[in-house]
Amino acid sequence: MASLGTFLILAAFVTASGACAACLAGARRQNRRLVDGGVGLMHVVTAMMLVASAVIVHAFVTEDYRIKYVQHYSDEVQPMFFKLASYWGGLDGSIMFWVTLLAIFGSVAVYINRERYRLLIPWVVSVISVVEMFFLFLMVVHNNPFETFLTTTPATGQGLNPLLQNYYMAIHPPMLYLGFVGMTIPFAFGMAALATGQLDDSWLRAVRRWTMLAWLFLTVGLTLGALWAYETLGWGGYWGWDPVENAGLLPWFTATAFLHSVMVQERRSMLKIWNVSLVIVTFFLTIFGTFMTRSGVVQSVHAFGEDRQLAWMFTIFMIATLVGSFSLVIYRLPLLRARNELDSWVSREAAFLANNWVLLFAAFFVLFATMFPTLSEAVRGERLTVASDFFNKWMTPVGLVLLFLTGVGPLLAWKKSTLTNLRMQFLWPVAATVATAAATTLVGIGFWSSGLCFALCAFVTMTILQEFWRGMRVRQSATRTDLFTALVGLVARSRRRYGGYIVHVGIVLAFLGFAGNGSKQDLEITLKPGQTVTLGAFNIRYVSLSVSDDGQKQIVTAHEDVASGGKHVADLYPGKSFFRNHESEPVSDVAMRRSVSGDLYLVLGGYNVTTQEAEFKMFINPLVNWIWLGVAVMIIGTVIAFMPERTFSFATARVPAGAATTSLILLAVLVGGATTVRAQHVELPNAVIVPPKSPLEKEMQSRIICMCGTCGRKKVGECTCTDAAAMREEIAQLTAAGKSRDEIIQYFIDKYGSQEVLSQPIDRGFNRLAWLFPYAAGLCGILVVTGTAVRWSHRAAPAADPAPSTADPALESRLDHELEDLD
Amino acid sequence: MATPRQRAVRIIITAVVLLGAFSTLFFAMAQKDAQFYKHVNEVMASPTQWYGKNLQMHGFVDGEPEQLPHTLRYRFHIKNGGSSVLATYEGLVPDTFKAGSEVVLTGQLQPDGFHVGPNGIMAKCPSKYTPSDGAAARGGD
Repeated sequence: MASLGTFLILAAFVTASGACAACLAGARRQNRRLVDGGVGLMHVVTAMMLVASAVIVHAFVTEDYRIKYVQHYSDEVQPMFFKLASYWGGLDGSIMFWVTLLAIFGSVAVYINRERYRLLIPWVVSVISVVEMFFLFLMVVHNNPFETFLTTTPATGQGLNPLLQNYYMAIHPPMLYLGFVGMTIPFAFGMAALATGQLDDSWLRAVRRWTMLAWLFLTVGLTLGALWAYETLGWGGYWGWDPVENAGLLPWFTATAFLHSVMVQERRSMLKIWNVSLVIVTFFLTIFGTFMTRSGVVQSVHAFGEDRQLAWMFTIFMIATLVGSFSLVIYRLPLLRARNELDSWVSREAAFLANNWVLLFAAFFVLFATMFPTLSEAVRGERLTVASDFFNKWMTPVGLVLLFLTGVGPLLAWKKSTLTNLRMQFLWPVAATVATAAATTLVGIGFWSSGLCFALCAFVTMTILQEFWRGMRVRQSATRTDLFTALVGLVARSRRRYGGYIVHVGIVLAFLGFAGNGSKQDLEITLKPGQTVTLGAFNIRYVSLSVSDDGQKQIVTAHEDVASGGKHVADLYPGKSFFRNHESEPVSDVAMRRSVSGDLYLVLGGYNVTTQEAEFKMFINPLVNWIWLGVAVMIIGTVIAFMPERTFSFATARVPAGAATTSLILLAVLVGGATTVRAQHVELPNAVIVPPKSPLEKEMQSRIICMCGTCGRKKVGECTCTDAAAMREEIAQLTAAGKSRDEIIQYFIDKYGSQEVLSQPIDRGFNRLAWLFPYAAGLCGILVVTGTAVRWSHRAAPAADPAPSTADPALESRLDHELEDLD
Repeated sequence: MATPRQRAVRIIITAVVLLGAFSTLFFAMAQKDAQFYKHVNEVMASPTQWYGKNLQMHGFVDGEPEQLPHTLRYRFHIKNGGSSVLATYEGLVPDTFKAGSEVVLTGQLQPDGFHVGPNGIMAKCPSKYTPSDGAAARGGD
């Protein structure tokens, strides 16, 4: 199997070079068949990479320890979920993952755009193939994931580090990779546009959705990383300006700049050089980030270690990329000249230009500060590092300026704003800002920087509300519908613009969360049982320390009783887990009490089991949950902005005007109005879940459900309440008495009166219908929806449409098409 | 429409401003907030020149660290390349901090020893791809 994998990588390398050559030759000679051949070869590369991925995943699943990579990152007791996630657990696999994703994206991008952007396709394929070839080359000569042990195969695997065995490990790297790799597609199209001289808006339109999607994945990936660090690592924060963190942030800055800057090119044919440069720099930064974390160039807690050869190969590739791309830009400079000039500094173009500069500055600052140790060592011979305080000191004003621009942008008019415009646009937002600034100062919040942040958040919020309100009113008077329908129609009409505004709302919420950092509190203390300590509004009493074992790990837990204003508020259980075979690398179990106003965050440090003395680190992180909420809103906004024209026009074509509103209100009531009331689940964190003594007992522990009613129907083998413990005891007794599987099941059915106590209904007789029911319902649902949709789309007469309609629907649809791009 | 010359002037002014901004950055960094990354023997070769400077000192814990009972105060020696220095610290230590651990201490060297700043102990794990201490760790990407 391993040799198949190695062969596939070699073959993919050769085929990619063939794809590149065929497309370049076909483009030069205007030979359609050569180009088609090249495209075909690219798809072959994708297929090969998919098979290679399947091979390595198969090796993980079958525990094939002949392959070094598998042996290093997996072992027998590792859950299947993490065996699969180990694909990207190490350097070699992560490179292959990168190539696979790039191949898939490339195939999809080329396929989607094969007709509309036919001139660009050969160059797109070439660029993508070259990037693929670089990473494949790395694998071929240096980091082959299929390398095998030459002599003896170890009997067991080393296993994935326990710190990595949580669900974040499964989603954070893929999300980040999707973001990084996704940025290659806009780069490829940009290069194609430069090579062919097609430097109008067409390449922008081709890449707009790709960039949005890649940006979204990057945002989500970065947030997941922050969330992971916050929840699992126990240092009380979510962003440490560590080089690996910064590596992901750098392309995010330039991609954000690019997403905004394209609007200026579309509207005013300006900033063309900016746009191609930004797309090149974004791609470069994705490669640079990978280089930084894998070559050992900077010291990082995340880094993969030092690898000089790898560093050289990356450096050469990066230099070649920069030189090649910017040469093309210089070559095409005449075509990139703007058709218009900046007419006034009080204009939207100016705001976007300022936005570009600030984001670029932010990216270069972070880059420079991250590379500072390497640079200072090269220049002065001394290795100097900068701490996160330094980053925060500089990035705070940068962030506030960006927040300000977020609000100012929509308020300024294109070309030039007159004084009347300005007065009308700025009145309410400025009023809101001043009011908030006054309020925060009165309440005692320092103006720098939390007070200013809150004031600017108010500014941006008021701007966005104003935009929505005015849009709704205009649409309402034009279409004579109610406000809600007007809102839905407004957003549907200009998805990119209003989706973008919703993303900005998300940004505001995130900044609210960042502002909370200013009033963080923390405490490190040694406590004896019974002692109480006060932090913020909380009185935290240390109750006891206990040790338990669940077969996989030993857990030490401290019980903290948290009260506020005299009333008991929560029981928190900070602890440490010591995994088998990894006892020297304990994992912190952070205990948190989350709320809208902030988190109480407890970490257990050192402890003495006999004296019960324990050391704690406690934090109050105000407003931190607004960050996660803000990111969720950003996701919603991006999805709205991303939606293609066809879904909307199809969906709204034959539907009565108010239908969208009614449906949305119904949905809101269903989702928001209903609240699940759950009883407080009584948990014994130090419950000793005794491992089952026989396979039958183990099977029963997962077939029988805990009937305490408060754990959400957890299996008896997993729930830590007293009811589950009693049921486990019953199962143990029954199996010890020699009862068979069916007898035990029947016992529980009799005891609880129905099959409710089973995790799955018995697959016999009438119960078969229970199994079938969900599938049948789903199938019926699909048929009904499809049937209705098809019938509606064929309906001849249009429904009563209050909007004035032009006589010529073809003209109208052409107008729509033209106008949709002008946002 | 700006003449080519006006445009050139604007570009040059922008470039100068930007370069100036970046340079002030460099010097600001070099003075105050930066920490020198050094090994113990490099520092102890001429300790007096390092007094009061922000250092990140890399070395190995020499012997078992002493913890003053019922407090979070630690005293220990850190050694590297034949030199050793006394270090003091107050606060929670990472789980992997014990005799022989490889550590990077952030703090200042004073005549009476190395004063480690808050959260200043970073303990490294011997193997690659594994995170260092619980203070700021994450492995595998």
